[in-house]
Amino acid sequence: MRRLAVVLLMLPVLAAGCGDRSLILTVDVLSFLDPADVSRSYGPIPGGLSGVSVDVASEEVSLLPGIEDVTEVSSAKLEIGASFDNATGTASASFRIYITSADSADVFSSAPIADVPVSLTPGAVTNVSTEVTSDALAEALVQDKVKIGIRVTFDTTASGITPVQGIETITLLRATVITKKNL
Amino acid sequence: MIRMGWLVLVAALVGLLPAAAEAQMLNARRLGMGGVATSDNGASRSANVAFRAVPKGQGYGSIPLPLGLLQLAGDMPEFDPDDPDFNLFEVLDLVSNPPLTYSLSKPDDVSGDISVFVARDSLVVDLDDVRRVIPEESMKHGGVYHLFGVGFGFKNLFVQMQPIVHVRNEFDLDPKLRGALRDAEPFVSNTRYALTDDGVAQAAVAFQAGIALRAYHAPAAGTGTADAEEGEDSDKDEDPSAKDPRRNRSTALYVGAAPKYLLGLAYGQIGGDGGITTGDTLFGSSDPVAFDMVAVTRHAAIGEDGGTGHGYGSDLGAVFFWNNFELGVGVNDVASEIHWETTVRRHVYSDSLNEFATSVVAVDEDFTSRIPPTTTINVAKRMGPTTVAADIVDNELYTGVHLGAETWVGMVAFRGGAYRDSNGSWQVTGGTGVRFGGIGLDLAVASHRRNIEESRATELSASLTLY
Repeated sequence: MRRLAVVLLMLPVLAAGCGDRSLILTVDVLSFLDPADVSRSYGPIPGGLSGVSVDVASEEVSLLPGIEDVTEVSSAKLEIGASFDNATGTASASFRIYITSADSADVFSSAPIADVPVSLTPGAVTNVSTEVTSDALAEALVQDKVKIGIRVTFDTTASGITPVQGIETITLLRATVITKKNL
Repeated sequence: MIRMGWLVLVAALVGLLPAAAEAQMLNARRLGMGGVATSDNGASRSANVAFRAVPKGQGYGSIPLPLGLLQLAGDMPEFDPDDPDFNLFEVLDLVSNPPLTYSLSKPDDVSGDISVFVARDSLVVDLDDVRRVIPEESMKHGGVYHLFGVGFGFKNLFVQMQPIVHVRNEFDLDPKLRGALRDAEPFVSNTRYALTDDGVAQAAVAFQAGIALRAYHAPAAGTGTADAEEGEDSDKDEDPSAKDPRRNRSTALYVGAAPKYLLGLAYGQIGGDGGITTGDTLFGSSDPVAFDMVAVTRHAAIGEDGGTGHGYGSDLGAVFFWNNFELGVGVNDVASEIHWETTVRRHVYSDSLNEFATSVVAVDEDFTSRIPPTTTINVAKRMGPTTVAADIVDNELYTGVHLGAETWVGMVAFRGGAYRDSNGSWQVTGGTGVRFGGIGLDLAVASHRRNIEESRATELSASLTLY
């Protein structure tokens, strides 16, 4: 019933999804992160290790209710941007974005929506930006609630004895879901 | 869920329909003259009961030619929601503006993608082209519809049985919700966005007995006595206008009254208010909004709760002629009321339980509904082959004004007019007609805004006139 109420109140939105028209849902995922999680320090991570994970963020957020009931996803993409200001050490890292249904027990147990490789070198700022498409992302973002997780996994085997440390800043996380009506 | 979604969608979009009460005018002669009501236009006869007593003038009968149906047959909208060409607004336009007249121009179909932007503390809905159907003000629509009656008359008396339907609905968005949907203003925190709907619908059958007669007559100076009146067989070879008070410069007063018994078949009323209230953060870890909705309904229906209703009303009218000038005043549904025994229910949506709770407030509660009166005041002046006319029609929802003129050049008529519609917009009309003995063909072109976008459109109407 609650969803019917949403249907009623969001009526023009739904009506616009009729026929060949689309409802384009843009979600600024970055805005849902705690400001403290947007820019975080990592390390010092000792050299010679692999698979060291740093969980940057893990949050549950509420989105538009009812969208899943009345729309059918056509496509979805996630635009990603991040900056790694690496102070010391050398590492290869994986910048992973997880977005899944709030029903999931642990957001990090799901498959990542995006897995962006990052090469870190001493005293260098590495900027990464990419765009991924994902069915799982689409399914998640039309639900009432989702869990968002961001994890960086470091492989410091190339760093020798120098620990890896620096500051990671997420600059862009924007999802766009294109849906059609499904009434 | 799928079907329910459709039901809710269509039901609520009815609230967005334009003032559909402003029905199409299928009499091309009248439409060409701006839709003005006069005593010699058969289509105006129901506007003033006294018109029944006035000798027939020009064009007493009309047969509409629904050109729009031919147009529809050649360009049928898609009704399958799964078809890419399906356009809900096109279907709604069809409902609100039945295709009986030929559409010469119409607004572009509502189309285009819409966008919703969501951030933790921001929600922007850009409806793009769909904004056109979001009403700028409250949407009122409805009217009192006197459907085809069955009856007969004898001399000055008549009886008839006529179904009556009264519908009124007012749908409104509060300024904040309107701004968010119409102007893509961002939704903000700690704010209620609401919509209201107030509607009434009732149906009855009127059993009516009436009288319409000439109450006063004085022939024009120099044209004989009052005994040389209309309806005498010896006048067959005379000029028909000699008996026509519109054109013989006589002074005459016609009056009519028709009380009626109203058998109420069904009554329904709803007053609803719903809204969403945003929290401190639009999209946080908890539900982004709180919903509230309250509706009170009242109903009675034949064979159902409350059964039939009973009431009385009347139609009154008078029309005065002097020196080929006509002044008419007709009031339909004077003091028309129906008494019902109604059931009243209150429906409250519980956000925490996620369901409606319905409670019966009253059973068989006495209630008197009203069928609102419609007043038509018309004036006309005939000058040889030329007629100029105007009227004011006041009803529950709006006051309309119609202006029109007609002149004949031999067998051909030229007409022009304008009218103020239920939205307060002026529309322009024009037309022509040709007469062949007792029958004529009339065409009219008129602008209108009878579409869901309430944008200007033009139509062609055609009808046969019986002279």
